Amino acid sequence: MTTLLEVLDLSVDYGYGADATHAVRNVSFSLEHGEFVGLVGESGSGKSTLGFALTGLSKPPAHIVGGRIQFGSSDIASLGDADLREQRHGGIAMVLQSGMNALNPVRSIRNHFFDIFKAHGHVSRERWSSRAEELVSKVELPTQVLDRFPGELSGGMRQRVSIALALSLEPKLMVFDEPTTALDVLVQHAVMNTIIELQQKEQFTAILISHDLGIVLESAQRVMVMHEGEIVEDGSAHDILNSPKDDYTRMLLSHYADPRADVVELPGFEDRSVRTAAGKPRAAGATHPPTVSSRSRRTDQKAMVVTNVSKVYPPPRRGESPVTAVDDVSFTLEPGEALALVGASGSGKSTIAKLITAVEKPTSGSIRFGDMDVAGLRRSRFRQLHSDVQMVFQDPYAALNPLHTVEYTLTRPVVNFTGLHGQDARRRVLDLLDTVGLSPVEEFAAKLPHQLSGGQRQRVVIARALASNPQMIIADEPVSMLDVSLRAGVLALLEDLREQWGVSLLYITHDLLSARVVTDNIMVLNQGRVVESGNTADVLRNPQDEYTVRLLDAIPNPGRDVA
Amino acid sequence: MSTHTATNMKAPQAPIGAAPTPFKVVARVAATIWSNGKARIGIIILGAFILIAIFAPLIAPYGAAENGFPRSTDASPEHWLGTTAAGEDVLSQLLWGSQISIFVGLVAGLLSTVIAVLVGLSWGYVRGFGADVINFIVNLFLVIPGLPLMIVIAAYLSGGGIGMIIVVVVITGWAWGARVLRSQTQSLRSRDFVTAAVFSGERPFRIVFREILPNMTSLIVGNFFGAATAAILAEAGLEYLGLGDTTIVSWGTMLFWAQNSNALLTGQWALLFAPGLCIALLATSLTLINFGVDGISNPRLREGAKK
Repeated sequence: MTTLLEVLDLSVDYGYGADATHAVRNVSFSLEHGEFVGLVGESGSGKSTLGFALTGLSKPPAHIVGGRIQFGSSDIASLGDADLREQRHGGIAMVLQSGMNALNPVRSIRNHFFDIFKAHGHVSRERWSSRAEELVSKVELPTQVLDRFPGELSGGMRQRVSIALALSLEPKLMVFDEPTTALDVLVQHAVMNTIIELQQKEQFTAILISHDLGIVLESAQRVMVMHEGEIVEDGSAHDILNSPKDDYTRMLLSHYADPRADVVELPGFEDRSVRTAAGKPRAAGATHPPTVSSRSRRTDQKAMVVTNVSKVYPPPRRGESPVTAVDDVSFTLEPGEALALVGASGSGKSTIAKLITAVEKPTSGSIRFGDMDVAGLRRSRFRQLHSDVQMVFQDPYAALNPLHTVEYTLTRPVVNFTGLHGQDARRRVLDLLDTVGLSPVEEFAAKLPHQLSGGQRQRVVIARALASNPQMIIADEPVSMLDVSLRAGVLALLEDLREQWGVSLLYITHDLLSARVVTDNIMVLNQGRVVESGNTADVLRNPQDEYTVRLLDAIPNPGRDVA
Repeated sequence: MSTHTATNMKAPQAPIGAAPTPFKVVARVAATIWSNGKARIGIIILGAFILIAIFAPLIAPYGAAENGFPRSTDASPEHWLGTTAAGEDVLSQLLWGSQISIFVGLVAGLLSTVIAVLVGLSWGYVRGFGADVINFIVNLFLVIPGLPLMIVIAAYLSGGGIGMIIVVVVITGWAWGARVLRSQTQSLRSRDFVTAAVFSGERPFRIVFREILPNMTSLIVGNFFGAATAAILAEAGLEYLGLGDTTIVSWGTMLFWAQNSNALLTGQWALLFAPGLCIALLATSLTLINFGVDGISNPRLREGAKK
């Protein structure tokens, strides 16, 4: 094998002078022809910045401050725009995370290919159509998609199209930047398989950038781990998995486990069954037990009872059939219980969350919380329901108003639900911050959302949900937007709240591993119907339904493939 | 537990800065607008006009209505821009007239922005029948051609002076702003933080004005400058047509009297040209400032401005 790409002492900064952020620091590595290399790191590690620098796509304020990127006979770091364009043919191509949104909605897929052929002139005009057909079939799409428009294709299909477009210039090096992150779990798995097969068939060199060590270990032969702008470990996938040298790599690895295993342990979590048997709580506790004054109000604990609920949305377009989002679902969530609702996107799990919080009305069936009829609740009585049922949102970056301080965000529900004012309300806000482990509380209270990390924001969101002293929390994918290392902390917090506050938890997720760790019971949803339900550990260890098996198979499992 | 604390410590502890005070926010916004070259020119022009308006009594060589001078004279050392057919000093009228234009522009711009905000935000937030009713009313104001409507209303309220002009300009000027703000409200209302506010037990009024409104400040400021520009032009237009109080001295009435006395035929171009240029300059300055306002909400434009 010969060296294809050599990166020497590369540094990339955002901004200039004293304000500059050093996103990539003195990185050196080389790639051989035909290698499949994974580049893993958490958000802010500089992995995408490095990817963009390699392809010459760095945008201001990012700029290369030093080092060389030797590709063939040229140094990409110093190429001008015109030379870069020339080099794209047979050079380096990139597939972006949002590549599926990079397609022009008013041009057919065929025209997207033709645009590239026209710009580079490497395919003779009479071969345009056949070459385009050849390319889409490489990514396992039927040739009919060429006549479709981007809006008519699913996210997975569009991402495949963008891979085919990247292939159309016969690149020697393909850079995949989180190619499957924005896709549904099942689709993610399928697209990833296509990429792996494609790489083996076409023999191009590939760099796979991802935050998910599981995916990378499963697909790449060699893995580079990036942390704070530096490559902390570079070795074969096998070595990284079995004998990681760096502490950071070890920490990342410790957060992976097989949800099917008999005993599942994550940092901070003992296996549930072991724990229940021994009768001990999760750990020494990330939270404080509730103050007496705040809990004395609650004497009756209510259950959420959902009976034969269906939700049918009107047809999206004239002439199409109505969409059944939830189909005859029944369950009961007892006080203090934790129930997982799992399924791929479109399975109706988020619709159920909307129904039981009265945001949407069911088409048929009944939803009762204690003696309150949630299905028929009027808008003016929302406050009554929300004092007992609260929600933790998926995206902590969107769930906090960027212009309000943490204190304001938390004071509002305290004032609205508990009737406390002035100093009393403030004391309660600081209590809440302490409860979710954000101390020093005074400093956090004064911060704006953009001054907090993702994990800290999610803690603020949880604190807000607790402000009304609810009996039930609905957590809609609470950790899917967070880095692996932050996930365990947020999950531990939810678990402690349930154990110590007696809050019941409806945990909506596609991540079966986290469901295994924090819930007692599980319901698997497929196209609005419950296909399987029961004890979480039992269901995941012995799945009966084929859909559950598919969900389990879609989880990247580094141990499975490398071994 | 140990791992839990470890993850806690792993979270990058950003240096804690104090929450920005309102003063700092205003200063930052001003700095952003100032950093844009076009906006800087606009601010300088607008500032000059405002200073002239404030200090007109000191700067103007004569009173606005002083008419004891020789009639229709050309420029001379005593009367830099000549005198009118009624024997008033044109330069003094120009300086005094800036007060009316700027006053009408700012007040009418402000009022129509306030109405646009109130209507646009509630329209964007409510659903169902209420939204349809507002939709009908706003569309009504949008389809009726602006100038004829203005003329009809002004003729109906004839002789009301500046107050009447402001009312007419506001009635005909709020609808577009309301429509733009409504679209933005509709896109913001589906954000998670708005849903979260509902879960926090907030009442709709508070959600609209405390959660949604602060997130569209730049749009509202932009709308204000746009409305002020339109108001200045409309005021000049109405007065030029003689629909306002023709006894007050403003740029519009200057044009009206210049036209009445056939200033062009007598070769007194300054009578038409000077107020016309001032109106154009003032309107331009507000539009230039709006380029800078765009940069507040869209950092990408700011980046471009620096390069």
